Amino acid sequence: MSAGNEQSRQWFEDLAHSGQVDLPSEKLGWLDDARQQARQAINTLPVPYRKQEEWRYTSIDGLLKQNFQPVNDPFTALQSVDLEDWLLPEMDCYRLVFANGRCVPHLSETSELPDGVRVGSLRAALTTDPDLLATWFGQTANHSQHLFTALNTVLINDGVFIHVDSNVKLDKPIEVLYLSLALEDAVVAHPRNLVVMEPGSEATLIERFVSTGQSVYFNNNLSEIILNESATLIHHRVQDESSQAYHLSNLFLSQQKQSRYRGTALALGGAWARTEYKVKFLDEEAECRLNGLYTVGEKQLTDFHLDIDHAKPHCASEENFRGILYGKGRAVFDGRILVAKDAQKSDAHLHNANLMLTRNAEVDTKPQLEIYADDVKCSHGTSVGQLEPEQIYYMRARGIETAMAQKMLCLGFADEIIDTIEIEPLRQHVHERLHNALDRVVSEQLQAEEVA
Amino acid sequence: MLSIKNLHVSIEDKPILNGLNLEIGTGEVHAIMGPNGSGKSTLSYVLSGREGYEVTEGQILYEGEDLLELETEERAHKGIFLAMQYPVELPGVNNMVFLKESLNAIRRARGEEELDSVKFMQLVKEKAKMVKLDEKLLKRSVNAGFSGGEKKRNEILQMALLEPKLALLDETDSGLDIDALRIVAEGVNALRSPERSVVLVTHYQRLLDYIQPDHVHVLSEGRIVRSGGKELAHELEEKGYSWLKEGAAA
Repeated sequence: MSAGNEQSRQWFEDLAHSGQVDLPSEKLGWLDDARQQARQAINTLPVPYRKQEEWRYTSIDGLLKQNFQPVNDPFTALQSVDLEDWLLPEMDCYRLVFANGRCVPHLSETSELPDGVRVGSLRAALTTDPDLLATWFGQTANHSQHLFTALNTVLINDGVFIHVDSNVKLDKPIEVLYLSLALEDAVVAHPRNLVVMEPGSEATLIERFVSTGQSVYFNNNLSEIILNESATLIHHRVQDESSQAYHLSNLFLSQQKQSRYRGTALALGGAWARTEYKVKFLDEEAECRLNGLYTVGEKQLTDFHLDIDHAKPHCASEENFRGILYGKGRAVFDGRILVAKDAQKSDAHLHNANLMLTRNAEVDTKPQLEIYADDVKCSHGTSVGQLEPEQIYYMRARGIETAMAQKMLCLGFADEIIDTIEIEPLRQHVHERLHNALDRVVSEQLQAEEVA
Repeated sequence: MLSIKNLHVSIEDKPILNGLNLEIGTGEVHAIMGPNGSGKSTLSYVLSGREGYEVTEGQILYEGEDLLELETEERAHKGIFLAMQYPVELPGVNNMVFLKESLNAIRRARGEEELDSVKFMQLVKEKAKMVKLDEKLLKRSVNAGFSGGEKKRNEILQMALLEPKLALLDETDSGLDIDALRIVAEGVNALRSPERSVVLVTHYQRLLDYIQPDHVHVLSEGRIVRSGGKELAHELEEKGYSWLKEGAAA
């Protein structure tokens, strides 16, 4: 291992030691064990670098240059934030608000939760529901997936805890709003989430990551999602952060018999954003459908890694990701479907389409199918294209100006993903964000063309 | 309305139009006929402002203004409309949104007030009924997955909605059955007025059974080789185009 790598490891070790963990609970053996293992993993796991396939197109050099500090008190800075500015109009939901990784109970809205539903902070649950946590924590996550997941585990301090009892169906979505406050230091947070859906339960979860200013920070998330038999979770994630933000999300999803997961993953902003989904079917007839959209421009990188493990027969998965790239934006899409030898009648489809608005944008896309069963329906595909001059001409011939035509075509491309969000206020919000971003992009681009 | 003088057009240095002359008066309906490869579509595209067509010589005046100086969308704003032979599919772009944006872009350019959603809906539904376009197609992506006939009807719907001063129809009749043809013709006839001009570009005479032209021109090898009244179309139908070529050569 090179000296450079050892210096990089030091960065992880320093971070692992910098966190001040002051959980309020009694000593919990299972948690200590997990932490202990993760701490060891930090000494032994390989440092991510570009000769490893999973990190081939995604450099972590930018992160390593930062000297991230833990946030001990996000609550003082929070006083100058008006929560109303960050809420979606007409959004009727239960809500958890986090500030730099810490749950803010007085801004959260969970008082009217139906019986059999727990929505709150992981920190609080350590005291109120230690047995539930002991049962489910670490069941699906691999703490040693890589150094970042180990780091998250060592530094567990807070996060989301959702538990829905058997056959309970939530009447309203649960929204989790992660505010990253603009602080002087470059700060880091390691939200740690656990979502457990008991048999036959149903819920909708929305996660939104936003920044209140243009500061440098790092969000290192880890979510464990457990769908027991016949449970249904609809899960929308909107990562829409500061142009200086670093974001890493690791989602571990395990699905029991006949469970259904349907989600959208939207990556709209950040300097460096990587999201990993690890999906595992633990029993038959489970279904996972995930749509994704990323927009990426100047000095930005967005990276999606999907790992879908068809370990059991008769399961269905479908992933459809689209990207709009401009400026010198870079995107990575690495999707892998693994169909095990006995997983007959698997139905698995993976597709990635990219719309390149500029010559200098770059996408590395790699959809893969690994099939060991012989009676399956599987497909994968990828496309990288530009706006068709023919289409622009057609629209201009109808009086629509070039900039507007480009914007409408981009929105049309994105709408095939966005329109799958069934929650009107959220869909509207994403539309608006995209409209604004495209207004900027298209006008900048037309100016650039004029100069050229 | 439109005056084309000695028009020469090339695509990638290959001459397609070779000295075409054409005068279209206000309120007139002209048919331009000709065999495949005679330059009919090129003429339509040059008038609408499609890129890739190089005008090497000649002049086009539209209402006294140099048409070639105008951007594609400016021509639309000033009332030129081309119903295309192959309408383009716009996946993801909702037909209704597209039609509204188109109409309002033109209204804005003319200094007229934009139509709000309610007024627009009323108007578009009325026009869709006129061209017998299934309202479901308004909610779908523009032309995506439409049948040939539906695409053509969508073009006529746009024409009816935008009420152009100069409507060009490029082979709108091709690939249509008789019923669809009649609907398209009705759409064009409804638009006929002393203020509007229509140019029908077609290979076959049959559209002209439904839309009576004031003038018929024959295009061959990039120029108009014969002009006449509507009886010229019948003559062509009987004798075919080769008769004209011989005539021109003689």
